Amino acid sequence: MTTLAHFQILASLLFAIGLFGAVTRRNAIIVLLSIEIMFNAANLSLVAFWRYSPHPEQLSGVMFAIFGIAISAAEAAVGLALVIVIYRYYKSIQVDEMRTLKG
Amino acid sequence: MDTAFIILSLITVGGAVWAVTLRNLMHAVLSLVLFFFGIAGFFFYLNADFVGWVQILVYVGAVAILAIFAIMLTHNLTAEDEPEFFSLRWLTGLAVAGAVGAVLWFAIKNNTAMSQVAPVGVASNVADIGRKMMTDWVVPFEVVSLLLTAALIGSIVIAMEQISHRK
Repeated sequence: MTTLAHFQILASLLFAIGLFGAVTRRNAIIVLLSIEIMFNAANLSLVAFWRYSPHPEQLSGVMFAIFGIAISAAEAAVGLALVIVIYRYYKSIQVDEMRTLKG
Repeated sequence: MDTAFIILSLITVGGAVWAVTLRNLMHAVLSLVLFFFGIAGFFFYLNADFVGWVQILVYVGAVAILAIFAIMLTHNLTAEDEPEFFSLRWLTGLAVAGAVGAVLWFAIKNNTAMSQVAPVGVASNVADIGRKMMTDWVVPFEVVSLLLTAALIGSIVIAMEQISHRK
């Protein structure tokens, strides 16, 4: 039988994979997509908590997941627009080549 | 654990690992689509049908296509100077992600409330979600619609700035 702990461990594993991608990769697009993996892991965790909650008729976890999806879609749109502008300026989207602010 | 959970776990973990390790950016985005489908499968498995369909529409339909467009607009299909396996950068990332994952795993393992089995008959139908969204959740709903409008206008302004400078 699948318990709540299985879902939460899977969600934390996916969150760790997304964090690994976000701190390791140099390409800005892949960094943004790793952040999307972390968003999805959090949504999976929220929906699993809703499914196992004593008051599922409140629909709290489902509502959190829907608002999370809307916010992460807005983040992806702005982030990819920024990537395109950065590419026009630096002719590159490697995150460690953007160091104008470094002292 | 039942069979559906194991299959969906393999799909999502495999898609996520490929998405963060593959060097060809297009292959990475396609593995990410596999991951998004796996998460949508989990939402169906958890009886949250509406969230599953929203996941497919927003992530597979919009975010993945947007990422593919960004890759094509930046002419950068293969990332040559990505860190090698077991380089210092790679090991540092693995240590950070491993530490965060270990803390979460420890917290979940030590929580006895996590070992309950799923109650039967829990489902979310779209009519209830719509009613909740228009009553209890109407303020967050309006705030999110404002946020989406701001993001839409903001991304257009950010991407158009360079064109006005060029004149």
